[in-house]
Amino acid sequence: MVEPGHATHIAFRNVTVRYGAKAALQDITLAIPRHQIFGIIGPANSGKTTLLKCINRTIDFVPGVKVEGEVLVDGENVFSVRNVYDLRRQIGMVFPLPVGLPLGVYDNVAYAPRMAGVRDRAELDALVEKCLRQAALWDEVKDRMQMLGTKLSGGQQQRLTIARALSHRPKILCLDEFSIAVDPVTTMKIEDVLLELKREMTIVLVTNLVQQARRLADHVAFLNSSQLVDVGPADVIFSERPGNPMTFDYVRGLFG
Amino acid sequence: MPELFDRAFQYFIAPAGSDERGDGTAARPFQSLERAAALIVDNHRKELPAVKVLSGGDEVELVCLERPGFGSPLRKQPRFRYFVAPDEVALAGDGTEAAPWPDLESAMAGVLQIHAGRQLRAGDRIQLTRREVFTAGIIERRKVAVDRLAKVVLAAVTAGLVLPLLAILSYLFTKAWPVLSWRFLIENPQNYMTAGGIWAPLVGTLYLVAISLAIAAPIGVLAGVYLNEYAGDNWLTRLVNLAVVNLAGVPSIVHALFGVGAFVLFAGFGRSVMAASATLAIMTLPVIITSTREALAAVPQSFREACWNMGASRWQTIRTIVLPNSIGGILTGVILQVSRAAGETAPILFTGAVFYVAVPDRGLASIFPYSLNDRCMALSYHLFTISTQVTGVSEALQYGTAVVLFGLVLMVNLVSITVRVYLRSRKRW
Repeated sequence: MVEPGHATHIAFRNVTVRYGAKAALQDITLAIPRHQIFGIIGPANSGKTTLLKCINRTIDFVPGVKVEGEVLVDGENVFSVRNVYDLRRQIGMVFPLPVGLPLGVYDNVAYAPRMAGVRDRAELDALVEKCLRQAALWDEVKDRMQMLGTKLSGGQQQRLTIARALSHRPKILCLDEFSIAVDPVTTMKIEDVLLELKREMTIVLVTNLVQQARRLADHVAFLNSSQLVDVGPADVIFSERPGNPMTFDYVRGLFG
Repeated sequence: MPELFDRAFQYFIAPAGSDERGDGTAARPFQSLERAAALIVDNHRKELPAVKVLSGGDEVELVCLERPGFGSPLRKQPRFRYFVAPDEVALAGDGTEAAPWPDLESAMAGVLQIHAGRQLRAGDRIQLTRREVFTAGIIERRKVAVDRLAKVVLAAVTAGLVLPLLAILSYLFTKAWPVLSWRFLIENPQNYMTAGGIWAPLVGTLYLVAISLAIAAPIGVLAGVYLNEYAGDNWLTRLVNLAVVNLAGVPSIVHALFGVGAFVLFAGFGRSVMAASATLAIMTLPVIITSTREALAAVPQSFREACWNMGASRWQTIRTIVLPNSIGGILTGVILQVSRAAGETAPILFTGAVFYVAVPDRGLASIFPYSLNDRCMALSYHLFTISTQVTGVSEALQYGTAVVLFGLVLMVNLVSITVRVYLRSRKRW
C-alpha cells in the first residue's frame, strides 16, 4: 500500500493482455506520476487503448480477454478491487469517437453524479456548469441545456464527453485521442484546460499526434507492437538521445 | 457561311461527281468531303477562333444533298455520329464517345480518314458532337438499367402482395355485410348458433389474450433483458437461445398437447380459461423474448460503454439508457403477439375452449362473464364450429365472425404500428 501523495499514482507491473492468441500488451511495466500529464504515443494497433482500458477495468467488457500482471492505482491492484464502480468513479474516460447519450445536454453531464446518488438540484447545477466550462462547451450550450446530446455536432459531442468524464470529479482522467473529432481551435482550448486540470488530477493522454504529446506531456511512454519501447520524462523522449533509438525515429516521423 | 441551327453548324455537301465550288450553304454546297474538311477547319480558325473546341452542346453537321439547292436533307439516311472532346486535354481518339477527338481539326482529319473509301450518298449526315463532360459508358448505362429493372420488379411484387389482401377483405365484407351490426357484437349466439351474435366468443378471446399476455409479457421481456444484457457468451446461454428459437418453431398443436399435460392435468387447472391462457402464453413467449432481444440489441453498444465508463452499473445503464430507448421495439413485439394469440385455435382446443356456453350478454355481468376456472368460448374456435360442426348456419354469420376476428387482429396491428411510428418520430440518435 502506497500512501496518497506518493509520486507514483498508477503503476503497471508486468501487464500482459491477450485477445485470444493475439497479445495486445506484452509485459508492460511503467509508473505514471501523480498530477502530471502522462503521454502515451505509438503507431496504430500498438496497445495504447488496451492500456487505458486496464486502468478502469473496462477491459472486462471485451469478450475473450486474458489479463496477467498488476495495475496499481494508489498502490491497490485494480484487478482485485471488489467494487469496480468505486474504481471507475475515480477515473474519467474519453474515447476517440464522441458518444452523446440520448439525453439532454444537462442530463448527459449530470448522469454520473446522479448514478452516484447526487440528488440536490443546486449541487447538480453548479457541477454541470463547472464541467461544461472546463470542457470549453458552456458558452455554446448554456441556452439549450435540454437539447439532446446526440444532436450536437461531432466536436461539441466530444467536449460533452469530456465534461461528462469530469462530472464525477475523477482523480485520474484518461483521454484516448480526444482530438480526432475536434477542430484545431477547440483542441487548443481543451489542451489549455488539461494543463489547468493536472493540478487536480493525473492525466493519461493517448495520442497519435507526437506534437500534442510534446506540447502537453510531462512524461511519455512509447509503445510499438504491444511492447513498451521507451518511457521517460518528455524532455528526454523528445531529445536527440532518448532511451531507445527507435523513439527518436518515431518522434521525427521516420517510421510509424 | 455556316448557318446556326439550334446551336448546330450545318454544312452541305454536293452529291458525288458534282463540280460545285460552294462554301457549304444549301444553295452553294461543298464539292466534296475533302473540300468541306479543309474549308470548315479554315473557316472556324479564321472566323470563329474560339470554336477550336466545340462549346457545350454544339454540333457540326455535314449533310450530303441530293442535288445543290435542293431543300432539307432526307432524314432516313444513316447518320454518322462522332465526338469531339469537351476540353483541349484529350488524347488522340477515334471519334467514339469513349475516345473523342481532341479538337475540330483532328476531327475533320479523322472523318476524312474514316470516309475515305466510301462515297457519301444523298441524305447522309455526319454529325460531330461535343462529348459531355460526364459521359456514361456501357457499364454505367447498364447500372442504371439494372437499377430501374430491380425497382420495377420489386415494386410489382409489393403491389402483388397488396392485391390478395384487398381481395380477401372485400370478399369477407361483402359476404358478411347482412349481419354486421352493433347487435351482432353484443348478443350471444342463439338458436343452436344459427342466429344471434358473437358476444360470448368475442369476450372469451379478449380474456384469453389479455391473461396470456399478462403471463407472457413480463416473463418474456425480463428473460430477453437478461439474455441480451447480462448473459455471458457460454454454453448455457447458447443452449437457452437454441431452446427459445426451437420453441418458436414448435407447431401450435404440440403446444396444445403440452398445455393439456402441464396445465390441465399436472397443475390441476382443468380445462379452463387459466389453462388455455397459460398455453397461449407458452406459445407466444419465445417470440416475445426474441423481439425484446432484438429491440435491446438495436441500442448502440457505445451508449452502454459510455455509462459503464462513468461508473454506472449494468442495471443503472439498462434502466436509464437501454430500456427507454428500446421500449418501442419491445412493445411492438409484445403487441404483435396479441394477434397471434387471438387467431390460434389449436392451443385452446383441448385446454379451455368450449363449443357453447351461455354467458350474460346484458348488464355489468356481461363484462366479466368468465372466471378463471370456467371454460370459455373463443372467436377462432367458434368460427371453426359454425363452419364445420353445426348445420344450418347462414354464410353471413360465418363470414361475420371471420370479419370480427380479422378486424380485431387488424386493430391490434394498427396500435402496434402507431406506437412504432410515434416512437420513431422521437428517436433520439
